[in-house]
Amino acid sequence: MSGDAILSRWVAPARQRRFIDTLTLALPVLIAAAAIGGRLAGPWAAAMLVAFGLAAAVLIARRRAARFDRNWLTSSLDRTRPDLEDSSALLFAEAPSLSPLQSLQRARIAERLDRETPDKLAPGWSRNAMLVLALAAIAIVAAAWLWPRAGEGPPTLAPSQEGTPARPGVPRLSAQNLRIIPPAYTGLPARDSASLDARAPQGARLEWTLRFDPQADAPHLAMLSGKPLALRRDGANWIASRTLDASFLYRVDPATGRGPTPPLHRVDAVADAPPQVKAITPGLTLVKAGQRSWTPVFTVTDDYGVAATARLRITLAIGEGENVTFSEREIAISGSGPARDRRFAPPLDFSRFGFSAGGDMVVQLIVRDNRSPSPQEVRGPSLILRWPSAKAPESGGLEGMVNTTLPAYFRSQRQIIIDAEALIKQKSRLSADRYLSRSATIGGDQRILRGRYSQFLGGEEEGEPELPTADADGHHDGDGHDHGGPPQQPGVGFGAPEDVLAKFGHPHDDSPASSLDPETRAILKQAVDEMWQSERELRQGHPDKALPFAYKALRFIKEVQQATRIFLARVGPELPPIDPTRRMTGKREGLANRTLDLTPVERQDGPAAAAWRALGSGPDAIRGPVNLAPLEQWARTHADRLPDALALTGAIDAVRRDPACAACRASLRAQLWTAMERPLGQPARRRGGDAAGARYLRAIEGGRQ
Amino acid sequence: MTIRLIVAAILGLAVLIAALRLLLWHRAAGEYASLTRLILLLLLQPVCALLLFLGLFPPTVSGGSDMLRVASAGAPRLAATQGGAPLVALPGSDMVGAEAVPDLATALRRHPATRTIELLGQGLGPRDLPAAAGLAVRFTPPPLRNGIRYLATPSPVSPGAAFPVGGTLEGLAEAKVELIDPAGRVTDSAKPDAQGHFTLSGTARAAGAAEFRLRLRNGDPTMEQAVVPVIVQDSARPRLLIMAGAPGPEVKYLRRWATDAGFAVTTQMSAGGGVQLGDPPVSIDGATLRRFDAVLLDDRSWAALGSRRSALLAAVREGLGLILRPSGPLDAATRAQWQALGFVLTGQAGLAPLALPKPPAAAIARTRAGIADPDMPGDLTLPDTLLPEVSRLAAIPAGADTVPLLRDAGDRPLAVWRALGVGRMALFTGVDSYALTLTGHRLLHDQWWRALLGAVVRPAAAPPAIEGVHWAGERMTLCRLTDDSRVERPDGGAARLIPISGCAAFWPASAGWHVLRSKDDATPFYVQPATALPVMRAARDRDATLMLRGDGSADPKGEDRPGAAWPFLLGWLVASALLWWLERSRLARQPTRSTR
Repeated sequence: MSGDAILSRWVAPARQRRFIDTLTLALPVLIAAAAIGGRLAGPWAAAMLVAFGLAAAVLIARRRAARFDRNWLTSSLDRTRPDLEDSSALLFAEAPSLSPLQSLQRARIAERLDRETPDKLAPGWSRNAMLVLALAAIAIVAAAWLWPRAGEGPPTLAPSQEGTPARPGVPRLSAQNLRIIPPAYTGLPARDSASLDARAPQGARLEWTLRFDPQADAPHLAMLSGKPLALRRDGANWIASRTLDASFLYRVDPATGRGPTPPLHRVDAVADAPPQVKAITPGLTLVKAGQRSWTPVFTVTDDYGVAATARLRITLAIGEGENVTFSEREIAISGSGPARDRRFAPPLDFSRFGFSAGGDMVVQLIVRDNRSPSPQEVRGPSLILRWPSAKAPESGGLEGMVNTTLPAYFRSQRQIIIDAEALIKQKSRLSADRYLSRSATIGGDQRILRGRYSQFLGGEEEGEPELPTADADGHHDGDGHDHGGPPQQPGVGFGAPEDVLAKFGHPHDDSPASSLDPETRAILKQAVDEMWQSERELRQGHPDKALPFAYKALRFIKEVQQATRIFLARVGPELPPIDPTRRMTGKREGLANRTLDLTPVERQDGPAAAAWRALGSGPDAIRGPVNLAPLEQWARTHADRLPDALALTGAIDAVRRDPACAACRASLRAQLWTAMERPLGQPARRRGGDAAGARYLRAIEGGRQ
Repeated sequence: MTIRLIVAAILGLAVLIAALRLLLWHRAAGEYASLTRLILLLLLQPVCALLLFLGLFPPTVSGGSDMLRVASAGAPRLAATQGGAPLVALPGSDMVGAEAVPDLATALRRHPATRTIELLGQGLGPRDLPAAAGLAVRFTPPPLRNGIRYLATPSPVSPGAAFPVGGTLEGLAEAKVELIDPAGRVTDSAKPDAQGHFTLSGTARAAGAAEFRLRLRNGDPTMEQAVVPVIVQDSARPRLLIMAGAPGPEVKYLRRWATDAGFAVTTQMSAGGGVQLGDPPVSIDGATLRRFDAVLLDDRSWAALGSRRSALLAAVREGLGLILRPSGPLDAATRAQWQALGFVLTGQAGLAPLALPKPPAAAIARTRAGIADPDMPGDLTLPDTLLPEVSRLAAIPAGADTVPLLRDAGDRPLAVWRALGVGRMALFTGVDSYALTLTGHRLLHDQWWRALLGAVVRPAAAPPAIEGVHWAGERMTLCRLTDDSRVERPDGGAARLIPISGCAAFWPASAGWHVLRSKDDATPFYVQPATALPVMRAARDRDATLMLRGDGSADPKGEDRPGAAWPFLLGWLVASALLWWLERSRLARQPTRSTR
């Protein structure tokens, strides 16, 4: 057997024993550390501590085990095995370097070596240390587990700071504790406040534990506005509890009116703030080529927590021109990140919503916080995703200026066809005259329509530009552009020069038709021609002959409508100049002078101002007790107008308790300054000069002396 | 002089009578007569009389130094070691080894030969200034300490008005000055300009006496604090005539503003064709206009006034206030007429957008607004980002006699006023200022129109005010007193005043609000603590002493001061005793007795 094999065989049990021993020693230390860490910083900290501690323990154990090397083995073999004759080192010597005598001795002891097992060389367990550490760990774990948490268990009373003088026989607050148990949804721990003033989340439970000396009979908490809260006896202490709905002022009244009035305490309710939604994605995004989905990103922050799921309202506007359909739906989405700062980034697949080119997708996040009951719901900003139409790429830079102008005309032409076809069906039941007159009426409609189109093209037209059909609402007053002036005179003939329009017409642009390309103009002209034919036939009482022309006209118009959208310049109305000669020329019967009464707004801070003057040291000061009843009444009535009505009420109470207290008066006066109106208007009157001054002023003006 | 002569004559007569009596007595004495004693007695009598005369009227003592060194507050402690002229220490200086005197007048009585005083320290206070008049004063002022060098406390303001608090800092170019309102909130803050001047603005509330505080901070710590007393008092409400050429929002909101402020408002809006809206029509003549304190005219009603303009201007000469405002671009005729009134309009015709002064930060704006109206939510009273569409005449008002009153953000005058006779008239070039009230700038609207009205309104008797800064322990003069005037101290006690020709001196002992009360009047005034505003007090003393130095260089021509009388009186006593002894003694008679 070679030296290395002997070494590994003989050292292994010792190493193993030491390794396990070290780990066993480390175990209670780790458990104790985890208990302390878990108590102080939560389970995550405990897990981290255990992980790092374990790694360190393994390292140390390995190092300790590595001390059992060849030197240790030879020395311990020599010490414990006399039969090896102090020659165990020979076992590990290299064979070639040995002398014959050494080789002989090596063979002898190698033979004897295995008479005993290597286990005997293993060090013993460190029992004492294990026992001590285990006991210490048990103590530490128990302490960590049982150490009183704030807000749990019986409260520790703090000495009172009421500052009321002691009187024999009159109970007095001697110790106090105010426990604040916030609503569970806030995730805040319960806490004990040594002071009776506190700020707590709205909806928190307040528990007072008070002790009186000498023992009180029927103490209560006197609310400054509202019912008093009776205290319940609990051993030597008195307890009471209530839910914090709104801020309030109160005092601990140990003796129901006997003895000095104790000071006021204030409990402020901190309302839960609604969540704040912030859109990370810009408000308007354009779809890029090849894009298949969109991920709008919102972050939501709240003071206590945002609900993990939210709703996303998606409004789709699909279609072009007048043929836009809206659809709205809400989907549930879930956010990521910590509860107080969640991030919502829902991927929206276009195919799932049927979103296509030329459409808009508007998304709005509807999110709630975790308040219970009644979570607060907040709607975030709307984000728009626009997929520009392939047909009208130019609309990208011209928001809001695109106006489809043709549908109204188009529908009118269709109406004429419908009317004509209805007339043809009724032909058998109608007299010839009636038939002719109805046909002529439709022809009149056709004429008006043709007039509109030819006017649009810059040509002449022959009638009032008023739509005869149900689609008159397509183009009406106040629809955002100017409709020109008074009715126009009949033109000089079809195909008149285009500047006729500039003279009599109603240009939406410099020349509306000029914004059309030549092709469209040509198609429109053909439509107008067909209309003219249709009108001629209708006027002559042949609606059946007119129909083909009407259909042709409709087809042309449809082509134009599908081909283009035109742009209108955004210009303000140009009103005709006022003609002064026409003013005041109408009938004026019944018009006379009229008195317009005006009631001034009364100032409403009278009691506050009066108290402010009385508490100061100016001319209206009252040095003795001030009657504060009107002020208190006023403060109660106008509580919603005051910046801090509770502080004012508290200051009033402090002055009432001790009218001679200069600091209380000063603080009430400071509060009153914030509770007064700022009267408007009144200037400081300038003082007149004396007689000489007036003479001087008159003299330099050249007036009489 | 006559008393001296009479005394001298009496003494001379007494000497003659005494000499006559001695001679008679000597002759009657017979054998007891002694010529030596007679001669001695006759010689001692005039000596005694002369000494008595000199004791009563001591001669002017000449000799000694005519220079006196006077240590005032702030003098270096060890200046006494430098020899030379005698050194006296006034109260307030902690000079060692100097003669302590209660005031300078006492020191001058003790050193009657003084012609020149050399001042050490920061100068003489009001107590010692009169005593130093007529002396030559040598004074090298020490540099002032850093702090508030001057504080201009506001004169009485009307309820709700904004008021300026100005001042000057000594040193401290990087310091920050804050105005703290009575509720303890910072209501304005500023940095001093290159000369150390600063202006802060506060807002008043209801009538009464308020204490603002001025806080000087250099870096973080507070260097100095001073109370800024503000007296808010009601004054007579003006009677206002608003005339507009047409109904419109501007006149509507002006009428609302003036009515709510409690003015007696008469509104005349012409609806054309002789139809008047508003209040019952009034005629524009001298008698009617005397009933008003101010008239607010727009350009169209100005044009419609026609020949009645002369009556209006005559009323202005008698004290009426006139505010002109354009309702739009001015036509050439009106512009020319207004130019003729002294308002030079330089610039093109037409309107220009009006850049508003930057509103203060929200926290400061909140301290300047009162509580919210019952019918207007609180957040509407604070200016938001919405900018109102207010325009102004493109032309800038100016003129030789005009005073700029309001300025826009570009520091160009927005309104100017000028005097006409006893009255005043103003030109406001803003148009559509009502938009301010609709966009949360209601306080700015109020500030503009209040300033305009305050500048021109007919003068009225205002309650008296006691201006200036007064310190506890320092004499102050109160005037316009009646026989029953008394001062009410902060602790409630009263001090009677003894007026001499309407004025009386008053030494306030404590700091705080004092009230000067007479039968039907109460005027509050504030007395600063003796330790407040030390730099301002030192600067005041220094400046007053420096002004004194100039006229003291002329040859002093004071009356001769009497010297000490006691050596003469002592001599007179000795001489009288000798006289008595000589008369009574048997010294001269002894020889005859012994021979017997």
